[in-house]
Amino acid sequence: MVKLRLDNVTKRFGRTVAVSGMSVEVEHGELFTFLGPSGCGKSTTLRLIAGFELPDEGKIFFDDEDVTLKKPYERGTAMVFQNYALWPHMTVYDNIAYGLKLRKLPKNEIKRKVKEALEMVKLPGYEDRYPTQLSGGEQQRVALARALVVEPKILLLDEPLSNLDAKLRLEMREEIRRLQRELGVTTIYVTHDQEEAMSISDRIAVMNKGRLMQVGTPHEIYYKPRNIFVASFIGRSTVLQGRVLRIEEDVAEVLVGNLRLRGIVMGDEAMRPGGEAMIVIRPEFFEKEAPREPYNTIKGRVALSMFMGVFNQVRIEDGGVGLTAYLEPEDTPPLGSELTLYIPINKVYVYAASQALLPYKTGM
Amino acid sequence: MARHEGLGRLTRLRYELDAFTLIEIIFPVFMLTLFLLLPVLSTFEAATKYRLSNLLGESYWNPWNPTGQGVRLIKGAGYTRIVVEGWNYGVILNSVINAAVVTLAASILGIIVAFVLARYEFPAKTLLRVMAIVPLLVTPFVNAYVIKKIFGPTFGTNTLSWFLHDILHLPIYIEVRNLAGVTLTQIITFYPIIYLNMFSALLNIDPNLEEQAENLGARGFKLFRTVTLPLALPGLAAGAALVFIFSLEDVGAPIIFGFRDILSYRIFAYFIGLSAGSKSPEVGALALVMLLIALTVFVGIRQYVSLRQYAMISKGGRWKPRITKPGWKGLLAIYLVVFPIVLFTMLPQLGVITLSLSERWGTSPLPQGFTLSNFAGIIHRSGVFRGIENSFTYSTLAVSIIILVSISVSYVVSRLRIPGMTALDTLATMPIAIPGLVVAYGYFFFFRGIARGTILDPLRDPAIPIILAYSMRRLPFAARSIFAGFSQVHEALDEAAMNLGATRRKVLSSILLPMLLLNIASGTLLSFVYCMGETSVSVTLGGLGGDVGTPNHRGPITMVIYDLISNPRANSIQLAAALGVILMSLQITAIVLITLVFKQSYAFIGV
Repeated sequence: MVKLRLDNVTKRFGRTVAVSGMSVEVEHGELFTFLGPSGCGKSTTLRLIAGFELPDEGKIFFDDEDVTLKKPYERGTAMVFQNYALWPHMTVYDNIAYGLKLRKLPKNEIKRKVKEALEMVKLPGYEDRYPTQLSGGEQQRVALARALVVEPKILLLDEPLSNLDAKLRLEMREEIRRLQRELGVTTIYVTHDQEEAMSISDRIAVMNKGRLMQVGTPHEIYYKPRNIFVASFIGRSTVLQGRVLRIEEDVAEVLVGNLRLRGIVMGDEAMRPGGEAMIVIRPEFFEKEAPREPYNTIKGRVALSMFMGVFNQVRIEDGGVGLTAYLEPEDTPPLGSELTLYIPINKVYVYAASQALLPYKTGM
Repeated sequence: MARHEGLGRLTRLRYELDAFTLIEIIFPVFMLTLFLLLPVLSTFEAATKYRLSNLLGESYWNPWNPTGQGVRLIKGAGYTRIVVEGWNYGVILNSVINAAVVTLAASILGIIVAFVLARYEFPAKTLLRVMAIVPLLVTPFVNAYVIKKIFGPTFGTNTLSWFLHDILHLPIYIEVRNLAGVTLTQIITFYPIIYLNMFSALLNIDPNLEEQAENLGARGFKLFRTVTLPLALPGLAAGAALVFIFSLEDVGAPIIFGFRDILSYRIFAYFIGLSAGSKSPEVGALALVMLLIALTVFVGIRQYVSLRQYAMISKGGRWKPRITKPGWKGLLAIYLVVFPIVLFTMLPQLGVITLSLSERWGTSPLPQGFTLSNFAGIIHRSGVFRGIENSFTYSTLAVSIIILVSISVSYVVSRLRIPGMTALDTLATMPIAIPGLVVAYGYFFFFRGIARGTILDPLRDPAIPIILAYSMRRLPFAARSIFAGFSQVHEALDEAAMNLGATRRKVLSSILLPMLLLNIASGTLLSFVYCMGETSVSVTLGGLGGDVGTPNHRGPITMVIYDLISNPRANSIQLAAALGVILMSLQITAIVLITLVFKQSYAFIGV
């Protein structure tokens, strides 16, 4: 169990910068997630930590030891790969025992440890099976056991759940969290699934185009997104572009289409009246009754209504602007009907940012 | 925050390399440089011993006044004798024209057979499929001998004329001789290469692409010309390039047809003349010309295919192939045209088998008498058996080298991220583009020059040079099959092991090699069979260590076959045929093992 430190790490592939000047520290026993869209450099970061890639600049430390130039087999990390990477020519036992054999443990100790590891991942008695005889979920568990059994300094998980179906994914998510807590192993988790990241992590690093966008607890990332990228990447927000009408303390009034919206000023960039601004509104922040704190009122027509099970998703159009909101599941207003919704000002995020920082193009 | 220096190139290199990977790089580079690159490049030096402008002299380069009569009709009493001999444009031009004609004709034949087998369903299709495999079996010299007996000039009447005149009672005799005989032989021998390449290319075409074109209104030949053929072109081009090179370097047909005005024969004759002490300063220049022609062809079609595709043909089968039932016209064409074509191309192999079981084939149109004594003769005639022993020894040792080099090259090329690996990959595939005769001449010139009197000197003892030459010439075939295996293994499997503490050497021995056992096994078999059937080096360098008459001669099977045919003694032709049958049996065994037991999808290209 170690502390991990990346110090100004840069990795280029030809002309593309996969990871750009990244500095981050991960504490003992922490479950730390790199989250971002595909191609953001999160997997490369993981591979740098494992030693499969060599950084072009910067250094990597395990505790105080500089491991930048250490070979993968000298680092003592253990990785769970997206495709599990179980060796098809070996039984489950041989797969899990592999790392122990390399560490030259006595045979009966290997046997005991493999048995324990299989019990830990709830696959007792699976020793003699071959990977091809296992289901996706079982393969995942074996891969996890193979990594954990060597008691790695750092456990690396590269999109470990992306090949599982939705139900198994939830199950394994809890499983990984439980094991990680029990063993207290420093864990780096890579995923593009924000919900997964939110639910499992102690802290999250949101990445885009090789850069860190924000590092924080899931709560911070959700409620205090530092920039328009994080704000729009996390959740299923409506992103709107408009012009700043006026600013009072940390509240800005923005004209979007014919709609005036007030929200709190977020982010690092300076904002001035008359300038462009981006607004992010999460659909779950809308309310049917006027809240106690200051609020915006949206009065419009229902353009779309989709029943999603736990909630009802509507699109409401006001002043030429479409907004997505979640209502109670039983609240299903007919298409074209009038609807009034409220949203607290402190839950409307306003950024002085350009479209370029968005994770993906959004329809207005 | 502290600023860091960027990591230097050297640090980067050191990170990827350790003692093990370094050896894995140095070993193949050393082998390929010393035993392929340098000998072959030495032909440039050899060529300087001759005034190159002489190569434009009439006997080498005569585009305007070719000698020879092409096709002659000789009227006799109540019959016509058709003599096809082609024209003689001089040694160099003959080689080029011949190779071009062979490539073109073989392509047409190959495309037709491949298309019919890949796209149509008809009664007796399996039979045609099996029949189409037969011409793949290689029997050096004997096949050409049989073709000559069937079509060529003989003491009596050739089989074809006998068939036309005595059986069908047509007033026609046909005789194919000289360059035309060489061309005919090579078309029949090499068209299966096109067929196989084209067949796999057709199977690899996504049926949706053709369906889309049909959907938009393209049908029949239009569909073939605008969609199918262009999509299959890389496969076709790969096959065509191979055929061109094989035709260029083939010595069997020119020797059997006694046609000397062709590059391959001249280079071969140099080695025959060596024992008689004759001097031929032009031969170095001729080897260089042959090398340059071969390389030009490869560079010329590189825009279609990368070199690597030549050596390995995957059988495809990712899609459910588009198979239709032909109409009655199509059926008629298949039974009346395609079946006879394939039957026609099987004649050499059928002839060799018949010959091996017969007592004689003298002036009669067909072999006569039945006997098994030829196979016994192989064992009893000491010089003949000696050849088999030699071949087994040479091939076994060459295959060991091939497998070691292949594994090294495949590992470093597929796994290391350092510059120069693509070059190494190209180097390992290059032997395909280099005519065997150039390799043989290069070995002779180079090792005579720098290692005279040592074990590398072919005149002292050709055994070691033959083994090395085999290993280089047959390297690409095994290397491709093994490389394919390496690239199919997801790198995450390596990384998972390294991550758990395995060094690169340990990854190779505990993860990759066990997983690739079948690829390696089929690579081993394939290259062994190719070594056993190797001709160019075998009859040139092999002949330097004595002939069949010499008790402890150094020649392999193919040299023995050549000796038996070119210096006929009692039963020697039939013995050669029996040796041919043995080679065929080996090849069939390899095909069966690889496809049915190892279930590997590497088609056999029969070289």
